[in-house]
Amino acid sequence: MSACIQVENLGFSYGPQAEILKNLSFEIPAGTFLSIAGPNGAGKTTLLNLLSGLLKPASGSIEIDSKPISSYSVRRLAKRIAVVRQEFVPVFEFSAAQVVSMARTPYLGALAFETDTDKEAIAEALKMTDTARFADRPLGHLSGGERQRVFIARALAQQTPIMLLDEPTSFLDMKHQVGIYDLLKRMQIEKQKTIVSVTHDINLAAQYSDMILLLGSDGGYDYGAVSEVFSKERIERVFGVRTFTAAFGAREFFLPVGKFGLGSKDAK
Amino acid sequence: MTDLLTPRRLITKIILCLAALVIVMFACSLVGPQKISLSAVFNEPHDTPGQNIDYDIFVRVRIPRIILAALVGAALAASGVVLQAILRNPLAEPYILGISSGAALGVMTAALAGISRAIWGGSPMAGFAFLFAIGTVWLVWLTGHLAGGSAVTSLLLAGVVINAFFSAVIMLMTSLIDSEQLRSTIMWLMGSIGEKDFSTLLASAIFIIAGIAVLFTISQKLNVLTFGVNEARSLGVNPRKITLVAFALASFITAVAVGLSGLVGFVGLVVPHSVRLIFGPDHRQLLPTSALLGAAFVVICDTIARTIISPAQLPVGVITAIIGGPVFLILLSGYSKKVGTLR
Repeated sequence: MSACIQVENLGFSYGPQAEILKNLSFEIPAGTFLSIAGPNGAGKTTLLNLLSGLLKPASGSIEIDSKPISSYSVRRLAKRIAVVRQEFVPVFEFSAAQVVSMARTPYLGALAFETDTDKEAIAEALKMTDTARFADRPLGHLSGGERQRVFIARALAQQTPIMLLDEPTSFLDMKHQVGIYDLLKRMQIEKQKTIVSVTHDINLAAQYSDMILLLGSDGGYDYGAVSEVFSKERIERVFGVRTFTAAFGAREFFLPVGKFGLGSKDAK
Repeated sequence: MTDLLTPRRLITKIILCLAALVIVMFACSLVGPQKISLSAVFNEPHDTPGQNIDYDIFVRVRIPRIILAALVGAALAASGVVLQAILRNPLAEPYILGISSGAALGVMTAALAGISRAIWGGSPMAGFAFLFAIGTVWLVWLTGHLAGGSAVTSLLLAGVVINAFFSAVIMLMTSLIDSEQLRSTIMWLMGSIGEKDFSTLLASAIFIIAGIAVLFTISQKLNVLTFGVNEARSLGVNPRKITLVAFALASFITAVAVGLSGLVGFVGLVVPHSVRLIFGPDHRQLLPTSALLGAAFVVICDTIARTIISPAQLPVGVITAIIGGPVFLILLSGYSKKVGTLR
């Protein structure tokens, strides 16, 4: 399978004393579900912003479909990569359908009205994400989980081969977390999308991802299949926390244990 | 998915708003301290001024004034729509942000430098108003960012402070003007719509309509920009380019409006909010319908201003402020609650 994202010796810093990423190299094959995990401050969101073209690398290169990301215009890049950030309430009361329709911006002509093709893409995205039933309601009137589904519907209607997500399940309850991951997996399988998702939940990442990029606070990283990257020793070293593990098939899942947590020597 | 905008829906709404504007303009042209007869206006001879008083009042005084009020309303309402979108702040408005004061300061500076306001259609005064308006936008933007925190909320505060500062400088300038000019200058500063010659009206109409037309071509991108700079980029919109074009054009049409009528406040706040409640937030329809209904709003306010204490007249800015002030406070309270829930 060909690589649709290639990262070579990538480095980025927010200042002379704030180097976040250094010498990062990896390739994401087309159609892969990749999760980026790591402790706070490891540079997960920074990496996502670099991959989406919002930030420029200090060193190294990023290629999308074998072309440097800097060679893409804003409009052309929006036809290759869709980005889903943490859900929020917009200032003005756009309906869910109007928000999803904005995905068609890179495709609109001079008069900026949606064509039948655009409307089909919007309707399909609303249907696939189960958001059509509240399409006419303002985004501010929806729950956090419903809003996140609308933003994912927007990314779907953008009809890009690559989808980047920044902690898509933050602030959502377990049911909605699983619902969002099921939806992403469906999009990977049915639409052959390359999914790159930043997450704090390593167990959901272990369950749904094909590949893991585990960033450490020291600038080190591990990249590979889930079972290769996620081991008890590595998780404990990178996150600095003790864990209990449970295995389901070839994959391990992790329960972090604090000083007073269940099973620890200080627990009562 | 019933609420997506189609060209047919947009045209229908524009025709409805245009019809409302024409009805308001016609009705207001019949209102005034001097009663006029329409049959006399059209049936009696009117070749020379003074021959037909009804014709003179209707065609030579009221119609140009009503057209002028409509132009000012359209410009300020459209400017309010655009500023609210690019600053992602429903309270942004050219008067509150100090842009109108900046343009007025430009006009005052030009006046003190000896450039006559009477030939503004082709005079450097228009350039002064525009440059000062653009300069104010830059100053508000810079101060807002230097103030730190959320640029969206600090911009408003920066605008209020700069507005107060410019108002003080303008007052200082008025004290340097000789007493004969003082009253008319103060009336103009408070937002005064008086008679203007045809060439001024035509030049202003071309500037304002062209400015709004160009803004319409980026109105869909303004929808995307209300979600923030990063979201806009991800959806294929160059935020820097659109913001620059939008700021420049909003400042330009504000400067033209200020050159015509002085400081008329709150139009850019009251009208877009009311129109949003009726038609929704899509800028492809919000911009043209706000411009048309903003025109109708200022025509009505000006009719009140010229009749309420007849035969004397109030500056139209007094009427728009009396209506707009409470609306601003209600919106501010609602916005604070909304922002509070987001934190």
